[in-house]
Amino acid sequence: MKGKYELRELSEEKEATLKQAVRLEWITIAFLAVTVTLVFLVLGNSQAMKAAWIEDMLSFIPPIAFLIALRITRRKATIRHPYGYHRAVGVGHLVSAVALTTMGTFLIIDSGSGLISGEHPSIGTVVLFGNVIWLGWLMIGVMLLIAVPPVIIGRKKMKLAEDLHDKILYADADMNKADWMTAVGSAVGVAGVGIGLWWFDSAAALFISGSILWDGLRNMKAAVLDLMDERAMTFDDRRPHPVAGELQDYLRGLRWVRDAGVRVRDEGHVFQVDAFVVPKFGRTPSLRRFDEARQGCIALDWRVHDILIVPVDELPEMVESARHPERERHE
Amino acid sequence: MSKLSAPRLAWAVIIGALLGLTGCGMTVPTDPDGTLEGVTEGVLRVGATPNDDRVTIDDDGEPSGNDVELVEDFANSLDAEIEWVVGSEESLVRDLETGRLDLVIGGITDTTPWSSKAAVTRPYLEVTEPDGTTLKLVMLAPMGENAFLTELETFLTEHEHKDER
Repeated sequence: MKGKYELRELSEEKEATLKQAVRLEWITIAFLAVTVTLVFLVLGNSQAMKAAWIEDMLSFIPPIAFLIALRITRRKATIRHPYGYHRAVGVGHLVSAVALTTMGTFLIIDSGSGLISGEHPSIGTVVLFGNVIWLGWLMIGVMLLIAVPPVIIGRKKMKLAEDLHDKILYADADMNKADWMTAVGSAVGVAGVGIGLWWFDSAAALFISGSILWDGLRNMKAAVLDLMDERAMTFDDRRPHPVAGELQDYLRGLRWVRDAGVRVRDEGHVFQVDAFVVPKFGRTPSLRRFDEARQGCIALDWRVHDILIVPVDELPEMVESARHPERERHE
Repeated sequence: MSKLSAPRLAWAVIIGALLGLTGCGMTVPTDPDGTLEGVTEGVLRVGATPNDDRVTIDDDGEPSGNDVELVEDFANSLDAEIEWVVGSEESLVRDLETGRLDLVIGGITDTTPWSSKAAVTRPYLEVTEPDGTTLKLVMLAPMGENAFLTELETFLTEHEHKDER
């Protein structure tokens, strides 16, 4: 039975955006594969290059997490998983964040101890087309070559992340956008070694490790808060998502409703909503009214994926509008 | 676009700085501890451990053999006198670390466990063992003395070409 309580799927327009995001993530993976190979070939003994290389390896995680999470979220809700599989996004987000945090910490210790013990990085030569050339030149060349493309891809992904309300995509785009700093940082480190300043290498490595750790901690906070059912926030976690207010206003505007309040949690891409309504005259209206209200809420925003409307005689405390001064306006 | 110009600015600064420094007579790479400068027209302090017939030590402690000649040629190319030190690999690597030696030779291969204590050169010779395994012989230089390492590797590569002819 395909009842009206079947969970909603994405609209056609969103499907197209999603396809675009999937294509961009595959492009990212292809680009990273080239980057990782190139950087590995010129890795040498430089700590900064090692840190940049590890960051590139870690950059595989968000696109892969995105692609896997997407497949899983597509599954329909079942009796065993009655809320659907959208939380896969949150799990993917947390996994990427933990990987970043761990590697960032490891690299800070590794680079810091190199700096303290005064390890001088050795960068020798390679034979290229019959010429002996200093490997440092190749390192700098490769790093500057790979600095720009991620910034462009990252900007494109950021736009899609907002459209799709996808936090893995956001984290990924955010990392890509900052990638040029890593590349330029390690180029500066190697250039420093070139002019005889051995500590430039470790210092650049520390800078890169710091940026990895910072990315990890920031994303870990966001992922944990989402999994802990923080109220729904915008895709960049800057402010509460406006849909909660819109739902509340819509419900309060209904003729049979005296007051209403909602709580909204982010299931990853989509929201699950509990709406509490206080009917007028203390009487529960007909089932048809509930159904209309439900359809109206779903029509408000594609992210409203699953909504329960609960009639109550008083709004519960954790609902935002319960403490709102305007709550009396419909009385 | 205004944000995109940040990496471009950074490139310009790096490339400009490098060009500027090379323009002022600074060579890239440069040794932090000035090994190449000290050795040129000076003394090259070389540590040797015996290895087959490529590095042999005679009764009065003088090393000889093909690899010894190779190092002598390198020293000549820098107008340097050689001061030989014969010892065990570990003691030689220790001297390399503390700056008492500039170069260590004698049967060291590219899979050497000393790679975190010393700069390993590119292989200068491949030797096939009786059991069929191929060993790639390398030399050890002080860690991070990149101008010296570059000079040495350039010499070894050119020498390798002469060998083939």
